[in-house]
Amino acid sequence: MLALEAVSVVRGEAVLLDAVTAQLTAGRCTAVVGPSGAGKSTLLRLLDRLEEPTSGTVLLRGRPLRELDVHDVRRRVGLVQQAPVLLGATVLEDLSTGTAVDAHEAASLLERAGLPGMALDRTTTGLSGGEAQRLCLARALAVRPEVLLLDEPTSALDAVATADVERVVAALVADGLTAVLVTHDLAQAARLADDVLVLERGRLVEAGPAARSGYLARA
Amino acid sequence: MPSWLGVGTSVLLVGLCLAVVVREQLGLARDVVVAAVRAAVQLVAVGAVLGVLFARAGAPGSVLWVGGMVLVAGRVAGGRAAGLPHAQRTATVAVAVGVVVTLGLLVVARVVDVEPRVVVPIGGMVVSAALRGTTVVLRRLREEAVSARPQVEARLALGLTASEAFAPHRRLALRTALVTDIDAVRTVGLISLPGAMTGLLLAGVPPLTAIRFQVVVMFMLLGAVSVAAVVAARLAEADLFDEHAALRRLEPV
Repeated sequence: MLALEAVSVVRGEAVLLDAVTAQLTAGRCTAVVGPSGAGKSTLLRLLDRLEEPTSGTVLLRGRPLRELDVHDVRRRVGLVQQAPVLLGATVLEDLSTGTAVDAHEAASLLERAGLPGMALDRTTTGLSGGEAQRLCLARALAVRPEVLLLDEPTSALDAVATADVERVVAALVADGLTAVLVTHDLAQAARLADDVLVLERGRLVEAGPAARSGYLARA
Repeated sequence: MPSWLGVGTSVLLVGLCLAVVVREQLGLARDVVVAAVRAAVQLVAVGAVLGVLFARAGAPGSVLWVGGMVLVAGRVAGGRAAGLPHAQRTATVAVAVGVVVTLGLLVVARVVDVEPRVVVPIGGMVVSAALRGTTVVLRRLREEAVSARPQVEARLALGLTASEAFAPHRRLALRTALVTDIDAVRTVGLISLPGAMTGLLLAGVPPLTAIRFQVVVMFMLLGAVSVAAVVAARLAEADLFDEHAALRRLEPV
């Protein structure tokens, strides 16, 4: 689905990613783990073209991202950020940010995101952290992405809300969606991921099935 | 009009200010003296230059004078927006467009005469208004580009264009830039008499004539602020995003 070929990102003197080559398989959840400053979020931002590599190539279904229309890439590759970022005054307005969504579609999106029955005219300011993050998930799904990028999606949430979001992500992957999960929570990576990429100081030091990951096992 | 003796007498009022400052131990005595002397020297110098300009420069000279003011205003507004890419260029173009559009419209429509004693003071007012709008909008855009990065990137990630993703923040900056001048127009004459009208009344012009002039000035300033602010916002916004429609990281100020 997505691939990185010798991708490096250098900003000033700092090497954020150093010749990373990796494959992200369709229909699976790939966790990107590693210590703080390892380059996890940078890698994720490359996949959505919020950053450009200094060298190397990122490919989506075999085609270099730079050859594709950037807005099209971003519609095909959805992103859920670390802290919930709400963009509309009401639930329906928020869901409609990227594309027009009618009430029927909105209800279906909310159900997929684990928010069945949520009122569409409910104001977003009153949502809990967990509800807000799942609304962000539903909004990302509204543009029908092929891949969902999750950048530490539960780091701002409590244990109950974290479990809710994890259930939704697991269900989406089970339904065939490709997910890339950046997390510092190795137990979460073990629970959700099929594959794992381990980054250390910008270098890829381990890649493969999560079940056989030495890094996750050590944790 | 006050005589030079009258002007000299008004120095007593500076003395009054000085007395307050000294008696209350505000530590501002030196600032008061320096400010008063500077004001006198600056105004005498400007008066002398304007005297020559009005007598000899003609229309080309007054246009050059206004052009000089635009460059200075662009430099000031650009300096206030340090950290934004190409702030100096953006500010200068915005002020220039604001001035050319509003002043040009008034000149072409023959609302104001093309002679130095009209173009220079009116040009000054227009440049000040354009400077105000440009400065506010650029500062606000810079703040938004830093503080609202997650919101902008969330919209970009949904496939919105840079302009669509930044639109709420552009609108906020423009509202901030315009609201003061809109309020000034709404309350004109109720809270205070504006400067141009006051000057005309003091010069003995009948109130209804002074009002006609003030209406033109108020609407002209509103036009200058709006045009300069929207040009500044659009140009700055284009520089905030790179060629791949990603929000640039701004240098810390």
